[in-house]
Amino acid sequence: MSPNESAPWTSAGSGDLRTNLLGRVRRPGRYVGGEFNVRHKPAGEPLVVLSYPDVYEIGISNPALQILYSGINDDTPACAQRAYCPWPDMADLMRAEGVELWTLEDGRPVKDAAVWGFTLPHELSFTNVLEMLDLAGVPLHAAERGAEHPIVLGGGPATANPLPLATFFDAFFVGEVEGRLAEIVAAVSAASRWERLRRLTGVPGVWVPASSPRGRARRQVFTDFSSSPPVTRPLVPLLEAVHDRVALEIARGCGAGCRFCQAGMWYRPVRERPVGLLVEAVQEALRQTGCDEVSLLSLSSCDYSAIEELVWRVRALRPGLRVSLPSLRVDSAAVSLATLGDRQRGSVTLAPEAGTQRLRDAINKRVTEPLLLDAAAATFHAGFTGLKLYFMIGLPGECDEDVLAIAQAASAVRDLARATRGRARVSAAVSAFVPKAGTAFQRERFAGLEVLQARQRLLRGAWPRGVKLALHDARAAVVEARLAVGGREWSAVVEAAWRAGARFDSWREHFDLARWERAAASVGMNIHRAFEGDELECESVIDSLVSASYLRAEREHAVAGVLTDDCRHTCGSCGVCRAGVAMDLAGAEALR
Amino acid sequence: MTWIVLRFARGGRARYISHLDTARALQRTFARAGIPLAMSAGMRPKPRISLGLPLPVGVEGRDEVAAAEVTGDVTHPGELVERLREAAAEGLLPTAVELWPQRPRLDPVAARYECLTALDGTAAEAAVRAFGAAEEIFVERVSPKGRRMVDLKRLVTVDGARRAPEGWWMGFTVRHRADGAARPEEVVRWLLGGDAASPPAARIVRLGVEYTGVPVRPGSRESE
Repeated sequence: MSPNESAPWTSAGSGDLRTNLLGRVRRPGRYVGGEFNVRHKPAGEPLVVLSYPDVYEIGISNPALQILYSGINDDTPACAQRAYCPWPDMADLMRAEGVELWTLEDGRPVKDAAVWGFTLPHELSFTNVLEMLDLAGVPLHAAERGAEHPIVLGGGPATANPLPLATFFDAFFVGEVEGRLAEIVAAVSAASRWERLRRLTGVPGVWVPASSPRGRARRQVFTDFSSSPPVTRPLVPLLEAVHDRVALEIARGCGAGCRFCQAGMWYRPVRERPVGLLVEAVQEALRQTGCDEVSLLSLSSCDYSAIEELVWRVRALRPGLRVSLPSLRVDSAAVSLATLGDRQRGSVTLAPEAGTQRLRDAINKRVTEPLLLDAAAATFHAGFTGLKLYFMIGLPGECDEDVLAIAQAASAVRDLARATRGRARVSAAVSAFVPKAGTAFQRERFAGLEVLQARQRLLRGAWPRGVKLALHDARAAVVEARLAVGGREWSAVVEAAWRAGARFDSWREHFDLARWERAAASVGMNIHRAFEGDELECESVIDSLVSASYLRAEREHAVAGVLTDDCRHTCGSCGVCRAGVAMDLAGAEALR
Repeated sequence: MTWIVLRFARGGRARYISHLDTARALQRTFARAGIPLAMSAGMRPKPRISLGLPLPVGVEGRDEVAAAEVTGDVTHPGELVERLREAAAEGLLPTAVELWPQRPRLDPVAARYECLTALDGTAAEAAVRAFGAAEEIFVERVSPKGRRMVDLKRLVTVDGARRAPEGWWMGFTVRHRADGAARPEEVVRWLLGGDAASPPAARIVRLGVEYTGVPVRPGSRESE
């Protein structure tokens, strides 16, 4: 490394052009890499480009990309490099100057990769995928790609329904890819594009829209999760990212069974890493990153079987080390918060999701008002100065009374905050319920824009003073709802919207519903058309492992207000656990 | 506790990060190297490390300075440099550690720059002469606080132009006064004849900054 390098990441030819662009955009550090722990593997073959379809600061914090980046570079002969979605100022300049998307590691054109993998986090990122393909000079449609183009491979939670993107991707990997990395790398090492695709088709979990239109790809579960160490040499950005801490995945999967939650179904069964493995990993990750905070990551960190022992042992590693538990379930948060002691600062997020007991029972959120207040009290006693509450509106069976109860719950928490910790901040984020594929509510009707906006007005009118209210954009939820359960025909809408200028749709300042309405109309569709209950095409191509009968039964339980127990305590027969796939709890080791 | 001055160079990819990002990256470099920094007192303790004059985004620095207080005694500054180098990010290169009896004062007095131009020798030397001959050179500065005119002649000396294999370099010194200083990109833009809407694409290198009490390190005089 030499500071005399003028632009070490640029390849010959276009280097000066890129340097020129970097001097004319906001935050040029987004486009040059150079993070701590970045891997350089010049002799690595084949070239795999990994992308997260959002701006660098969001993408660099994504744990899935960190896992793939470490796994491919450290454990396979392939070379993994990255590209994120350029912010519009850079994208416009790239088009004006004829510069194609490059990788952060050494500035190679992204289109030179053997395979270009996208982590697809949610539906509002879809237009960014098209934006990146276009900027890279890769044809948008898989059918139009030639021998010189990379295989475009999608993964991540949005592959629960990949159909609105089926036109643009050569293949999708469905589920957790860690256990299949070697097979995928071997498949894409073939010389010809056709052969790469043919071999990929044989990898379990891969769905190739063009060649297996009637096949069902089975979601893959990483069965060695518990015995494998988490990422201990993560990329640490030089730019300020959304998260600046070691994020260590302590468990995967959630047994709570919330009926709206896609992640809760998609990552089943629950698997936990043993305490000893995690403590060693924390020590190494702190050394490699220079961070002074550790986030113990999972869908529900407080449900980790040995959470008290883990927090205690991690804290003992270094005086002053901050430990955070990012996802707390209300019904067990109080215990976990007590575990953290009274040295905390910052804020805690709790998600009661609904305002009334009736609705919380319907969505299988085992939360009562006393539990919520206990958790809030524990938050303030533990020293936190802020508490954020998550709610949803537009849930199935919701009425005005349920919406007003959200304001009442916020008011009660505010009163408690004032009584126990005078200056604590209480805030609430209220999002719109969107039916997601693979959940018990996948066939529920989306509330629609008018209903959501009416309920937002109702909520604003009843909102207590002293509690900050953040309402998610109901207009964006309309698009999300259509794409979450839409079929292949929605590819045309995504493309028309992108051609009309849609990108960064999850950013309020960039989202434009009218653009999507016009795009849908231009291909004979209606973005506001209510979803008809039985049409769920993705079920014919994706096997999420959760049985249809379980999801049907859960939907009936929702209507009846019947709770389903956490599958850690009582098996709900969802169908996921089978030969080789089973729950694996850290506490069980201690019991044995 | 020991106060040190860390000298480092910023180049390559790292020249595209901001002053705050540079400070954060250095702080992380100490942590990765296992060199604990002393913490400030108060409710929110912060590591005692501060950088000198901010280096603008896109500008390389040959001899940048950070003042830091490390816990414990430092007997082998050279060893510290080695550990910091191993822990540093690409483009941030620790070059020297100097021991200081107290907290070093980092008030800038003057900063020397060079910029690589696409001009030929005749044009580069003509630009240097034109700067010298002018009585006043006002450029417009636009900031969130509004627009104002800055007289470069009052704040800048253009040192000359020199030829190198990669092109012509033009050197200049910015004086830092109580009422402000010129920005290097303003000087470069004037020298190259660009307008405010199109920032210069030339490479700009800061050779060193003279601070009150912390001189420029001998030897860091040229950009190549």
